[in-house]
Amino acid sequence: MRKFAIIGFGCAGYNGAKSLREHAPNVVIDVFDPSRRSPFNPMLSTYHAAGKLPYDAVFPFGSLEEICRALDLNYFSENVLEVTADRTIRTESDLYRNYDGILLATGADAMVPGSLRCSGNRWFTMRTLDDALALRQHLDTNQVRSAAVVGGSMVGIKVAELLHSEGVNVTIVDAASHLFPLAAYESTARFIQRQLENKGLGFRFDAKVTAIDEDGIAFADGSALQADLVCLCIGTRAGTRSFRNSSVQIGHAVVVNSHMETSVPGIYAAGDCCEGINLQTGKTAVIGLWANAAMQGACAGANMAGDHADCPGNILHNITRFFDMDFISLGDITLPGCKHLFDCPEFFVSLVMDGNTLQSVNVVGNYRVSGILKHHLVKQLTGGASTTFTPAQRGLLERNGLPREFIQLIGGSPNDRA
Amino acid sequence: MKYVFVLDESKCVACSACAVACMDQNDIDPLAGDIPFRAAFVDEQGPVEDPKFTFLSIACMHCENAPCMIACPTGCLKKDPETGFTVFDNTNCIGCHSCAMACPFAQPCFNDNSGKMTKCDGCVERVKRGMQPACVKVCPFGALSLVSESEYQELMRTDARKKISYKILD
Ligand SMILES: Cc1cc2nc3c(=O)[nH]c(=O)nc-3n(C[C@H](O)[C@H](O)[C@H](O)COP(=O)(O)OP(=O)(O)OC[C@H]3O[C@@H](n4cnc5c(N)ncnc54)[C@H](O)[C@@H]3O)c2cc1C
Ligand code: SF4
Ligand code: SF4
Ligand code: SF4
Repeated sequence: MRKFAIIGFGCAGYNGAKSLREHAPNVVIDVFDPSRRSPFNPMLSTYHAAGKLPYDAVFPFGSLEEICRALDLNYFSENVLEVTADRTIRTESDLYRNYDGILLATGADAMVPGSLRCSGNRWFTMRTLDDALALRQHLDTNQVRSAAVVGGSMVGIKVAELLHSEGVNVTIVDAASHLFPLAAYESTARFIQRQLENKGLGFRFDAKVTAIDEDGIAFADGSALQADLVCLCIGTRAGTRSFRNSSVQIGHAVVVNSHMETSVPGIYAAGDCCEGINLQTGKTAVIGLWANAAMQGACAGANMAGDHADCPGNILHNITRFFDMDFISLGDITLPGCKHLFDCPEFFVSLVMDGNTLQSVNVVGNYRVSGILKHHLVKQLTGGASTTFTPAQRGLLERNGLPREFIQLIGGSPNDRA
Repeated sequence: MKYVFVLDESKCVACSACAVACMDQNDIDPLAGDIPFRAAFVDEQGPVEDPKFTFLSIACMHCENAPCMIACPTGCLKKDPETGFTVFDNTNCIGCHSCAMACPFAQPCFNDNSGKMTKCDGCVERVKRGMQPACVKVCPFGALSLVSESEYQELMRTDARKKISYKILD
């Protein structure tokens, strides 16, 4: 009987196991994860810490027992320390096993740069359930009046929202010159910053943090910021430590092709530990998103069973809701082109077009147009079908507040009437 | 039995009877911040002297590998195994709008007050009891229908008339 290992049981690992079981009912599937918990969704960490979601709800696929029973999985609650090119794994308890196929799905860890001096017990990261529980416990047992969130990222803004809702005075600190440096045009970021300043948040940009201690933050320019609590949200680092000896190609993360195959036959990777194809650049990149992890895991599982599934790639995209505001970012904002803006009292859409090609989009305040614009951008890149809007898309965009001229500009056909 | 909603564009006049029936069926009150699940509208294109009209009635297409379902971080969206409709339980909905970004048809709706997602559920309870979805039942021109998957395949094979299905944006 063929034997497979899934290393890491988050969204990618779960979807990999599920798909593998659906495609290969009779194989042995061993799952390795030290958490001893059902697959957790990291994006729910701040919601749980804020008391907005009960404990059980952070495990969207159900309990570990139910999952293992339904998918007939053998669960090993331990870390895999090493994977070798002959598909042998070594675990913490010195278990050695050889497999017909392996899925690497170890996700990512919150980044804490080695150069950053961190001391004391008032600093936190936000990635795992334990991170969320630790922050919650600290807030419940200490008087926290001020906090610094290092990293004006999507995670940083959610942590800032959580702390602000508890009456904490929050300052967001970033080495970049504005919020969401990878997703927002500067004009969008400044708009959002103004809205948040009106709600009482403070900001400090172009500020390189060198140390975190009991008093707060020290900066490279010699200045300091006092804070009762610091949360570090400066990104993630792919969990690739255990694969260094496996011969799989590793860049920022494990490099995969559109079948989720690594450079070593029989070893696959999915989710935040891997870099798949960025459709806009044609190069591999980490696109650390929940749905991406699910689709990549499902694709890898099917292919491990012998199917020929394809995960053609993705674009950078994100929707984040914070302080009753939606911010949507689509595509690579560094790509060149001509900037266009539609602005009305309720929302704005800002975008870059290179000739007739949509390059990137920022939307604030209108979630309803996000799906159509995202699919348009992907369709443009995957080719095949026409890249003009259909009558249904046009009508839906119009009904959701976009004027005809603007719709025509993004995806009009020569016959369209603006 | 799996079902597919089909719109015969040649019969639709975008009268909005379907949209109103849906609001009735689902207690949708736009004045209280609800967003209607179904919308009917006319798309007018081409030169003014020779315009081309397209009449449409759009709600959730109940996509096969529903992107909204894959994107939802809390597992609110599911496939009903009996009908194939994309149904929901919004108890744990955090209002993150990930489903909205995943949907190519702008279908997930949010009530301003609750912040929770709602959408067309295919009138799943009616259909399971042998009734038609409210929007289908009320359509005065027989433009909107709900057919079984096999009937749909047959329609696509034999009927050259323009139909709208979950493939509308392909
Ligand atoms: C605060 C926050 C907000 C976010 N917001 C969004 C959002 O709005 N939208 C969105 O799409 N995404 C969001 N994300 C990202 C999203 O949660 C991730 O992209 C997704 O969960 C990745 O899933 P994964 O399975 O690849 O990794 P993970 O969920 O990290 O799972 C990896 C698993 O591997 C295990 N593991 C690690 N190393 C080993 C080892 N050596 N041996 C065995 N097991 C191991 C870990 O214990 C873990 O269980 C957010 C993330 C955070 C933290
Ligand atoms: S909500 Fe959108 S994505 Fe989900 S099934 Fe309906 S049409 Fe498809
Ligand atoms: S808004 Fe609610 S239903 Fe939609 S993806 Fe988020 S949690 Fe799921
Ligand atoms: S099927 Fe029911 S819920 Fe869906 S649009 Fe029709 S009436 Fe509304």
